[in-house]
Parts: sequence; structure tokens; C-alpha cells
Amino acid sequence: MNYYKYYKSIILICLCFLAVANANAQSDWEIPEKEQENVSFIMFDDDMILEGSIAYENSCTSCHGTPGQDDYMPMAPSPGDLASDQFQEQKDGTIFYKIKKGRGSMPKFEDVFADDETWNIVAYIRSFNKNYKQPIPDLGGIIIPEYKLKLDFDENVDKLVVKVFSKEIPQAEVDVSAFVKGMFGKFLLGKTQTNELGIAYLDIDPQLPGDAEGKLHIMVKASKGYGLAKLNQKMKMVQPTIHKSAIEGRHIWSTDEMAPIWLKTSFFITIFGVWTILFFIVIGFYNIKKAGREDLH
Amino acid sequence: MNDTLSKEILTDEQIDQDLLKNINWGNKFKLWLAFLAVSLIICLYYYYQQIEHGLGVTGLNDYVSWGIYISNFVFFVATSLIGMLISSVLGLMNVSWVKPLARIAELVAVAFAMVAGLIIITDMGRPDRLLNVFMHGRVQSPIVWDIAVVVTYVAISILLLYIPLLPDIAICRDKLKNVPKWQHKMYKILALGWKGKAKQFKLMHNYTRILLVLIIPIALSIHTVTSWLFAMTLRSGWDSPIFGPYFVSGAFVAGCAAVIITMYFFRKNYKLEKYITIDHFDRMGRLLVLVALVYVYFNINEIIVPAYKTNTADAKHVQEMLSGHESIMFWMVQLGGLIIPFLLILFRPMRSPLPLMLISIVILTGAWFKRVLIVVPTQLAPYYPIQNVPEKWTHYMPTIPEIAITAGSFILVLIIMSVLAKLFPVIPIWEIKEDIHHNKN
Repeated sequence: MNYYKYYKSIILICLCFLAVANANAQSDWEIPEKEQENVSFIMFDDDMILEGSIAYENSCTSCHGTPGQDDYMPMAPSPGDLASDQFQEQKDGTIFYKIKKGRGSMPKFEDVFADDETWNIVAYIRSFNKNYKQPIPDLGGIIIPEYKLKLDFDENVDKLVVKVFSKEIPQAEVDVSAFVKGMFGKFLLGKTQTNELGIAYLDIDPQLPGDAEGKLHIMVKASKGYGLAKLNQKMKMVQPTIHKSAIEGRHIWSTDEMAPIWLKTSFFITIFGVWTILFFIVIGFYNIKKAGREDLH
Repeated sequence: MNDTLSKEILTDEQIDQDLLKNINWGNKFKLWLAFLAVSLIICLYYYYQQIEHGLGVTGLNDYVSWGIYISNFVFFVATSLIGMLISSVLGLMNVSWVKPLARIAELVAVAFAMVAGLIIITDMGRPDRLLNVFMHGRVQSPIVWDIAVVVTYVAISILLLYIPLLPDIAICRDKLKNVPKWQHKMYKILALGWKGKAKQFKLMHNYTRILLVLIIPIALSIHTVTSWLFAMTLRSGWDSPIFGPYFVSGAFVAGCAAVIITMYFFRKNYKLEKYITIDHFDRMGRLLVLVALVYVYFNINEIIVPAYKTNTADAKHVQEMLSGHESIMFWMVQLGGLIIPFLLILFRPMRSPLPLMLISIVILTGAWFKRVLIVVPTQLAPYYPIQNVPEKWTHYMPTIPEIAITAGSFILVLIIMSVLAKLFPVIPIWEIKEDIHHNKN
């Protein structure tokens, strides 16, 4: 009986604690002024949004749901829908900071995503806001170098060759990453740096499935400091993929047009054959009639 | 020597007189036909209700979409198969005692096969969309095969009834003077100017032989395809490679029983004791034992193989049959409708007309419920459990309209058989004469 009383009070205390914790959590999330003004020094583009969406789906959807669908987890404090006005009112720096640091049941992603990857997520979240205008970063007089990329494929060693230039001069120690674009995301081929000749080599697995012409959609990114360049290119690198129908050999379960020839022919020949014989017999009634008349003359 | 025919020598006149006796529109027959017609109209009223309110008036639901309609269809197709066994298989083997019974078997076949097609339509919620089956049917679908063979089988059965009937129609045309004018005219047209010429007989024999050969694969395929409607669906209890021969053997049991019952009533009502003899019943009884044994063999296979393997879903199905929810019907059908009757028929006294007819009625009833056991329990045990549906969907009980419409199909069969038996002799006159002349010489 005593234990029962204890349980009761423990449950009561827990409930009070939860209520207080909830009230705490719902109080405003203080972000340092300086962090709020933080902005991406790269302008958001489709590629960043794509990468952001992949990272978002892996790490954020479970609680926040799909932006715009109001399908977030019912938690306290509410994760909220990221496409809502209330959320989108926040500054880029605020969102960036919140992802990095986390609080309460929102984990910190500081150790999970690099800064550029976190900005990808911000870019993805902003893609749901039509009125969003990205603030122009103040670079404080730094001139961003413009890189140019040139891709080649060395079929003798199955390597993707990436050359990085700036104003026709090969650039060394540039970070290069390459991906193959798939239907739903990107497949990382590798990350490396250019050598002193401004060339980076990346291995291509010849087993990768190409399109009908054996081409892969290659996405290359090169960055050094503030400088960034991207290039998308379809290149013949692997064996062509011959697409087979998923129901190949199982046409018996498909539509009428897909019916196997052997079935169609045997069915129709049988039916046609039998009915031809029946027709022949019905015509034969005339012969019986004729045979009855013959001896009359 | 054909010892099944009566030993006394019958003259041609006597035979004509005996076998044409049934062709008259007596008051007894008119009363019988009126009774059938009124019953049919009552059943049609229920069908009208079904058309107006849809299949909701039946006990069918999302799970049991094939209830007693389809069971009845399978039963009708099964019963109609006997035409093939008696007139074709036994006929081609020159088993002479079946000759007087061939037409009765063919009558049963035509009547049941014709109505089988109609039963399918009663199972359709929107019969006005029947044409879509032909316009949009997939050649891969067993349902399309089924329609094709059922239609073909009906056509062959009608021809097989009609062509050997030609000499008898000519006899009707020549001998029957006091029939209505339209009936005489009908005989004249249908007799195709039959004069009994040798060439005419030759043509008739040729056509009949072609049809007798042709009907064997068609009859086998009609019931095999009907079994495939089930066996080609991945469901416990239906997923069986022996379903084709299992159905065909069961068909012969039902068909033999139906022919024995028909024989009995034709013999009694038309005073055909000299032509359908006690010996005929004896032999039909033996034939029934033979086909019943084959069917028992298939039944044992059908149960013991899945019962031994106890694959989850099949084990449940077998369990339901042997000791579960369906067990009462199962044992009634297996013991009461199959094993005990055929054991009884093993004794000679039980093969005399009246006991054999009564046993046949029991077998035929058992055969009907056997089809319900094949069709319904499997649908109540889908691989995914039945969940979150109204309670009444978890079992199946036919409603009054459903039972009335099913009864209507039987009434229609009786009407077809009664009318045909009033228009034409039910025993082939010319074959009997031929036989007697042959024996005399």
C-alpha cells in the first residue's frame, strides 16, 4: 500500500518536472547577435538544394517531416513545419546556428555536418520560401578567384581527370570532389586535391551502370578558400546499360498486348479450328438434305 | 447380343408406338410445366431485385465474392460433362448397352451446359457490362478461356444431340399426325428432308463421329479450365496442380447421378421399362461406383498431401475442413455424399431402379455441397488476415434472393429437359430398331 502511494507521488513529481521543462523549452531560443548575422558566402543554387535535401531526409525528416506537409512529430516543444512563415521569418544565421548547436531534443549537428553542408540544408529549407532573398555576403574586400574546370576520361586506367584553371593557369591544392548523378541522389566518386599541374585523378568503377550509350552524368566540384566551381557533364565511361522490362518473361500476368505469342496463337488456332469444324458440319446439313432428294429423279 | 434390351422381340410398330408415346401435350405435362413456369417467375422476381439493388441483396461480400452462384456454376459444368463420357467415350468404345441412354445423357449435358453460362451472368453485379469481357478480355485470363470453351461445348453438345436425332425427327414427321401444326412444321424443317437413305446415314455417322472425337478434348478442357479459375489463383486450398483431373473425376460422379435420376423419371413417366431396363440401372450403378472410386482417390490426394506438408496456410485450410468450422459439411459430403453411397451401390439390390435413384439424389446433393466447400472456405482464409471490416464479412451465408436465383437455374434445367423430352423421343428409335434387326439376323 505504501509503495502505491510512493508511485503516485513519483508520477506527480515527474509530471510537474515535465511541465516545467516544457515551459522552459517553449521560452525563446536565445541566439547570439553575431551568429544571427552570419550568412552563406556562396549563393544558393540547385545543386546545394539537392545536397541539402539529401542531408535533410537523412537527418531531419524523422522529427520535422517534409517541409510544407505539416507532418512533423508531435513533440514538446513542437518541431514545427519548416516551410511555415513563423519558421521562415528567422535569419539564415539563426537557422544555421540552431542546426549546429541544437537544444533539448534537437541534437547538435556541429560534428555531423561541415559548415558548407549545413548551408546546403539552409538552402534546402529556403527553397520552400518563394519570397526569400538571399543576403549578399560582405566579403570585406576579398576577391573570389574564378575557377574553370575541364574534364577528361582516361580509359586505360579508368580514371576521371579533372583540370582546374584560373585565368588559364593550372591551380594546385584545390579540393576536388566528384559525383555521379543518380535518379534520387548523388553517388560520391571521391574527394581529392589537384597536384602541382592542377590535375586531380578520380577512380571510376567500370561496373557502374551507364545510360544506353554508356554515359555517366558526372558532377564535379572544386573549391579553395572562397573560390568555388562546379561542372556537370555526361561522359562515356562505362558499359551501356540495356534496360529490360521488369516483368520480362512474366507476360502472362501483364496486359493483353503483352500476351506471349505462343499463348495467343495456340488459343486462337484451337478456337478457330474447332469452330471451323462445327461450321463445316452445319454446312453439311445441306448435304444431308441433298442426299434425301437424289433418288426422286 | 445386347442383353440389356428386353428379351421379348419387339416389332417396329411396337417400338414406334412405345417411344413416340411421350410426345403429346397431356394435361399432366401442362400442369407440370405451369408449376415450373410459376416457380421460375418467382425466382426471376428475385433476380429483378438483384438487378435493381445490385449484389447487395446477396450474402456476397468483399472476401467471399464467389458464393453459391459460382459453386452452382461449377456444379452445372460438372454435371454437363456426362454427355461426353457416355455418348462419346463409351460410344466410341462400342459399349452397346449405353446406346439407349446416350440421348438422355446428351439432354442432361445440353440443359446443364446452357444454364451454366447464365449462372455466370447472375454472379455479375452489372450484367449490362457482359460485352466488356469479350471486348477487353485478356487472352491470358482463365476466365476468357472458360467462356470460350463453355460456348464451344454448348454448341458441340447441341449438334451432338441434334444430328443423331435426325432419323427420329423424320419418324415424328411421318408418324405423328395429331400434333399441333407448328410442331409438325418444326419436324419437317428439322428433319432436313431425311429419307433414311444410305448416303444420309453415312453422312450422319461421319458427322457424329467427328463430333464424338472433338467433344472429348473440349469437355476435358471445359472442366479443367473451370478448375483453373481456382487453381491458377495463389490461394490456400486452390493452389493445387491436381485440380484439373480432380474436377473432371468429380464431374463424372455428379453426371452419372444426374443421368440415373433422369433415366428413372423418364422410364417411370413414359413407361419405357422395355427400353431402359433394370440391367441399365445395374450397369449405370457400376459405372457410378467406378467414377466415385476415382473421385475418392483424388479427394484423398487433395487432403493428404497438404496435410502431410502442413505448410502454414494449407494446414489451416485442411484443419478447417477436417475438424474446424467446415468439418460438418466436409464429412457430410465425403461420407454421406460419396463414400457411404458408393459402398451401398456395391450391393446388387441397391442397384435396382428406385434405391439407385434415391442414392443418386444423395450423391448429387453431396456433389453440389462439395462445390460450395471448394469455392467458399478458401475465400474466407486469405493470406492477409481479415481485419477492420464489418463482422458479417468474416463469414458467408447465402440470402433468400441468392438461394431463389440458384433454385431458378435448376428450374430452368428442368424446363429445358421437360420440353425437349416432350418434343423428341428420349430413346433413339432408329438405333433400337437397328439393334433388334441386327440381333435377329
